[in-house]
Amino acid sequence: MTAQLIINGLSLGAVYALIAVGFAIIFNILKFSNFAHGGFMTVTAYAGFLATRFWHTSLLATLLIASLAGGLLGLLAELVAFRRIRNNKSPVIYYFVSSITLGMLLENLMTIFFSTNFYSYPNFFPVNTIKLGRLIIGVPDLIMFCISTLALIILAIIIYRTKLGTALRSVSYDLDTSGLMGINVLRIIQLAFFLAGFLGGISGVFLGISYTLYPQLGQMVVKGFIASVIGGLGSLEGAVTGAFLLGMVEIFLIRLVGSGISPVFIFIIMLLFLLVRPRGIAGSHIQEKA
Amino acid sequence: MKKIVVSVLAIILALGLVACGQSNSSPGKGQSGNSQQGSTGDQIIIGNLQDLSSTTSVWGKAVTNGAQLAIDRINKDGGINGKKLKLVTYDTKNDVQEAINAYNRLASQDKAAAIIGPPVSNIGIALAPIAENTKVAILGSFIDERATTKNDGKPWGYNFLIQPSSVQQAQIVAGYTMDKLNVKKIGVLYNQANAYSVSLAKPFIDYVKSHGSQIVSEQTYKTSDKDYKTQLAEIQATGAEAIFIPNYIQEDVLAVQQARQMGINVPIVGGLDFAPPFAELAGDAANDVYFPNNIAAEDPQIKEVAAAYKAAYNEEPLNKAFIGYDSILVIADAIKRAGTPDPVKVRDALEQTKDLKGTTGIISISPKTHRPYGLSMVMIKIEKGQYVTKERYITKEQQQQ
Repeated sequence: MTAQLIINGLSLGAVYALIAVGFAIIFNILKFSNFAHGGFMTVTAYAGFLATRFWHTSLLATLLIASLAGGLLGLLAELVAFRRIRNNKSPVIYYFVSSITLGMLLENLMTIFFSTNFYSYPNFFPVNTIKLGRLIIGVPDLIMFCISTLALIILAIIIYRTKLGTALRSVSYDLDTSGLMGINVLRIIQLAFFLAGFLGGISGVFLGISYTLYPQLGQMVVKGFIASVIGGLGSLEGAVTGAFLLGMVEIFLIRLVGSGISPVFIFIIMLLFLLVRPRGIAGSHIQEKA
Repeated sequence: MKKIVVSVLAIILALGLVACGQSNSSPGKGQSGNSQQGSTGDQIIIGNLQDLSSTTSVWGKAVTNGAQLAIDRINKDGGINGKKLKLVTYDTKNDVQEAINAYNRLASQDKAAAIIGPPVSNIGIALAPIAENTKVAILGSFIDERATTKNDGKPWGYNFLIQPSSVQQAQIVAGYTMDKLNVKKIGVLYNQANAYSVSLAKPFIDYVKSHGSQIVSEQTYKTSDKDYKTQLAEIQATGAEAIFIPNYIQEDVLAVQQARQMGINVPIVGGLDFAPPFAELAGDAANDVYFPNNIAAEDPQIKEVAAAYKAAYNEEPLNKAFIGYDSILVIADAIKRAGTPDPVKVRDALEQTKDLKGTTGIISISPKTHRPYGLSMVMIKIEKGQYVTKERYITKEQQQQ
């Protein structure tokens, strides 16, 4: 039973990790929590769904289309919702309001275009479960786990091994100084939004496959936020760690105390982190600008 | 410059107030005319409170379309006592306060003879005491019994239900599971944060326990949960021979898919939300699912109404469309028997509805509970993605009622 719970916790954690990292990239650079990320995931989930419906795309092609759509949406969001705020050097609360409003806008647009009906992705997998003795592993969960891990590794390589990644890190450290050092800050910020949208696309498709499509799908972003807080806001490694920890804790709490009470414990854990170790597990130095 | 802007704004505001005042006074003028409560001129107004723009709008639109279809047909045949019916619909946005405002508008300004209520229980419950004062009847499909009877068991004066209540439906499913599927050990998985889910789970559990079978595991989750594997594993471990899952459609899809993924291949029984498009959404996992439905797709009357619906709206009718259709039949019948569209007399006639042939069955309303009695439901099984009608079923107790 315990091994099965761990497997279930890992598969839930993989979803949270993708959400949390998309979230963390933007926080890393601009120091605000991008709640529009939920909207990105919803839109891309529908984009991927439309691709499967009209072009009968394979899983990889669907992921690619949804991710590109997410990346473009990220660029558009940066232009429409955030660029002026940054140019005016407005307080962080403006980013916050703008991102929440954008998230709501995207959710409502989806409701208008697709109504509140549910849709589901076609079945991509010939076999849905693998049995190892008494353990049951869902094939969609397994593939989601592998692709998420792969995406996160590629992201890490981009950030730590490429010139662009170095620029990204230096911008995240100090926006103005890196501009003075000859880094094109706008391009780097656009890159961050593109990457966040791209990851949002992958998580959107997987959320759609696991949980069917509906306009409020993006509200799962709250779990990504909690994971980021536990892991350390702005730290990518922290986001991943926090996400897997959250998935695991949730599954065990449901087993131990039941689903109704488990949010109380999650809340207490989050409070403890905020009180005792506000920098999260990763202990990143970043603090929200106030 | 600033002054100019301010004064322009002030003028606009003032004009707005005048305009509002005028629109408010116009129904007053109508009232002073010879229009009588329940009708305006040669029309009889039937109110319709449905969610058209929020989370349950899929149902609201289906009920509205079904009701409009029935009205068009009645009007084509000459209306009732020479008067045409007219449906006046207001959007509740699935919000209790919006629904109360809309109800009051229908009763006082539009002079509705009777009102079709939404298929949402919390709105039905909120409207019950208000309707008792305002005295325009609501015929709803809110299945929570509190929407039709008070705590002391007496009916709310002006609320009526057109389909079997949650208790009746849960008993029908429980009876069918034990009698026809021969199952003795049953697990239950429901959403403890959703009144609809709870209102089916509790009477199901009571009925099973009091009729000699066993609830081996009772598992719950809350609305934001998406992963029920832990709960399902508990049920699996108890060796349940069937699982009762009375949830909203999307949660049904997740629960059934996850159960099948885990190798739980026992029959799954549930509520009306297993109706289309469930099978399409759940895919292969949907096999061996049973639920009670209001209608049998093979029934000639259903086929005929469904064809007319498709011709009118270019889409397949959902279950709720037939509820809307039947609501109009019941109200029209009551107006005919009352001989007048006066809301209080229509209410008295609604209470005496007997053996009315609707698309969802033979409808009789009990004056004691304001709910239908002896109304069987059609048990449906999903086989290879297809909905297969098994039989009409009703428990022995309900038959004798």
